[in-house]
Amino acid sequence: MTACSGGGAGEAEDTSLTLGAITAPTTLDPAGSEWGNRAPFYQAVYDTLLYADSDGEIQPWLATEWSYNDDGTVLTLTLRDDVSFTDGSALTAEVVAENLQRFQDGTSPDAGYFADVASFEAPDETTVVVTLNAPDPAFLDYLTRDPGLVASSEAIDSGDLTTTPVGSGAYVLDTAATVTGTSYVYTANPDYWNPDVQHYESLTINVLQDPTSALNAIKAGEADAVRISTNDNLDEVEAAGWTINSNELDFQGLLLLDRAGTVSEPLGDVRVRQAINYAIDRDAMLAALQQGHGTVTTQVFPTGSGAYDEALDDAYPYDPDQARELLEEAGYADGFTISMPNSAVLGATVYSLVEQQLADIGITVQYTDPGNNFIADLLAPKYPASFMALEQNPDWQLIQFMLAPTAIFNPYHYEDETANALFERIQYGDETEQVAAASELNAYIVDQAWFAPFYRVEGVMASAPGTSVEMLPTNAYPSIFDIAPAE
Amino acid sequence: MPVFIARRLLSGAVMLVVISVVAFTLLYLGGGDIARRILGQSATAETVAAKTAELGLDRPLVVQFGDWFANALTGDLGRSWFSSQFVAVSMETRLPVTLSLVIGSTVIAAILSVLLGVLAARRGGWIDGLVQFLAVVGFAVPGFLIALGLVLLFAINLGWFRATGYTPIGSSFTGWLASIALPVVALATGAIATIAQQIRGSVLDALDRDYVRTLRSRGLSSNRVVYRHVLRNAAGPALAVLAVQFIGMLGGAVIVEQVFALPGIGQLAVQATTQGDIPVVMGIVIVTAIIVVIVNLAIDLAQAALNPKVRLS
Repeated sequence: MTACSGGGAGEAEDTSLTLGAITAPTTLDPAGSEWGNRAPFYQAVYDTLLYADSDGEIQPWLATEWSYNDDGTVLTLTLRDDVSFTDGSALTAEVVAENLQRFQDGTSPDAGYFADVASFEAPDETTVVVTLNAPDPAFLDYLTRDPGLVASSEAIDSGDLTTTPVGSGAYVLDTAATVTGTSYVYTANPDYWNPDVQHYESLTINVLQDPTSALNAIKAGEADAVRISTNDNLDEVEAAGWTINSNELDFQGLLLLDRAGTVSEPLGDVRVRQAINYAIDRDAMLAALQQGHGTVTTQVFPTGSGAYDEALDDAYPYDPDQARELLEEAGYADGFTISMPNSAVLGATVYSLVEQQLADIGITVQYTDPGNNFIADLLAPKYPASFMALEQNPDWQLIQFMLAPTAIFNPYHYEDETANALFERIQYGDETEQVAAASELNAYIVDQAWFAPFYRVEGVMASAPGTSVEMLPTNAYPSIFDIAPAE
Repeated sequence: MPVFIARRLLSGAVMLVVISVVAFTLLYLGGGDIARRILGQSATAETVAAKTAELGLDRPLVVQFGDWFANALTGDLGRSWFSSQFVAVSMETRLPVTLSLVIGSTVIAAILSVLLGVLAARRGGWIDGLVQFLAVVGFAVPGFLIALGLVLLFAINLGWFRATGYTPIGSSFTGWLASIALPVVALATGAIATIAQQIRGSVLDALDRDYVRTLRSRGLSSNRVVYRHVLRNAAGPALAVLAVQFIGMLGGAVIVEQVFALPGIGQLAVQATTQGDIPVVMGIVIVTAIIVVIVNLAIDLAQAALNPKVRLS
């Protein structure tokens, strides 16, 4: 299990932890929950069925064992029998099935993860059976995140989970001391089944949306660990004596969405998409936009994936001449005009840099600011291409998120036979086959230039002296159990 | 007098209705796909549709407003779309923060500007010059810059006050003071500059008046003349300026609350407006409008009490 040295609560050292987060949760009810930067708010009060450790491996948590049937459509989970919720009610298979069902029926942004589930059943007290319509290689990953959160059944029936969460987790929300949206205060659950991971007696999570106030909190020593929303001030964070802990979860770059050329005919030509890739000076972009905090890349699969290939990080070196040649071959020697959205949320500089570099090879960018509707318009779809920051998920999840014909970030539902065949091998193959097919897929979409990624950006969780943080490879916010007093 | 108050309250109520109709409509015009914004980039189209239905956003605008208004009349302002908290509860927790800030700043501004204004008017010379200079500086430098300077010096370097966060007065008075002191100073600076100038002008003006000469000729001490008579006459316009400043500070609190990460109404307003969290924005609009109505009424009453010439009918 976790590589924790024991410790636990109960010892009288520094036993309170103050964390900084970028954004508050929209609800504390698991049925509407999210992960990413909102993970710690849920993780503090609820247990997940499975646990993702800092190596990215799936570990037992509320479920101690799990197995699939031969065709990968029936998942059987065995639960712990010694867990009770903080309202005194017991964890049973029935409660877990109820929670899973609520997630599928609810309005969590991730409710779509359960779109292919046929049923959740509880044949006995400690067994949960999930039946899928088709194999889902990402399903166990999902159970380590928001879909795997379990709330008390009594609280679901009678209470108000949206602001008063009741779980079996390591901490209990102190609703009297909490200011919703700003500051969440938790105290250790004295009856927690896994005291090894309770490193603190109390926990406070402050929402520090403004980068300046986050930096001020760091300099004034008013927190133990803070998730940083911009990499502009990392020098000052280090100057304050803090440690920079980082992972590279998100990539930023151009999404070349209209690969069939429905709206923008030139984009339907692979040579044009490759030309756009050659036109980008990735090193300059990384230096200008992230102060060098990241790694340039041309692939969308994360370093932790079996499909990742280091060579694909520079498949398209900066070469405007090559780009112009490709455009000429494709019949666009005189260039063309392409429309893209721009959003203040992602910064202003990047848009002018993209505009300049594409203009250099003859492509004119026409920007429209859709304001608050940026994502809605992008997915409508109203634009053939856009600059965007997207999370690099584990393989199958990534495919469902931005590659598959039904993926959210494939709004034109673009597909081709080669990719479809690879998706199928990943979905139905065994583990070795999955990795092999995912590697082929990665190489294929880089060659086909489905995207023009610039770089993987460093996501930073800064920690004060006295606090140690281990990042998760699969999430923006580390597990709260991986934040502990430094040795 | 009761008639006057009743009339003012009635016009306040009418104003509230007008404001809520206008605010609701404007928010909807700038709205766009709210469910998508709540759910973010990973939600499927089906989930977005389910959320839209859950929030009742698929109904006509008039129905939605009617529903909101009927509930608001019973005191139910609904729940935030982005934090699920009852709007009334978030007002309850956040109003004390903003009122601590604004009332604290107003009190300090009132005291300091009277002292500075009178000092400048009576002493003249280099003292007057200095006060005038400080007033211009205080007026010209934006509040957030002052806030950042104060944080750097007193919170980060000296560690006397807090750089972020808020402690309720109920849980610790010194904690409250440490969390509120810098924001109050940052917010009060601009107001002090404005009101001190106003007081200085009024006092100078009054000192030249015939009645002052008459009072002096009767042998009243200079202090007594200034504090009993001159200030009383200068107080009317100063109070009006103070009221304007108080209301202005409700706006100025927005930036100060952001910089100090204070969970007040201003911070909530920025967040809710950028997100398009209509129930919260409407709650803030209503509560702020009520405060403005009350402040204006209180100022009118205070002026009447100060100056019998402004008797209310």
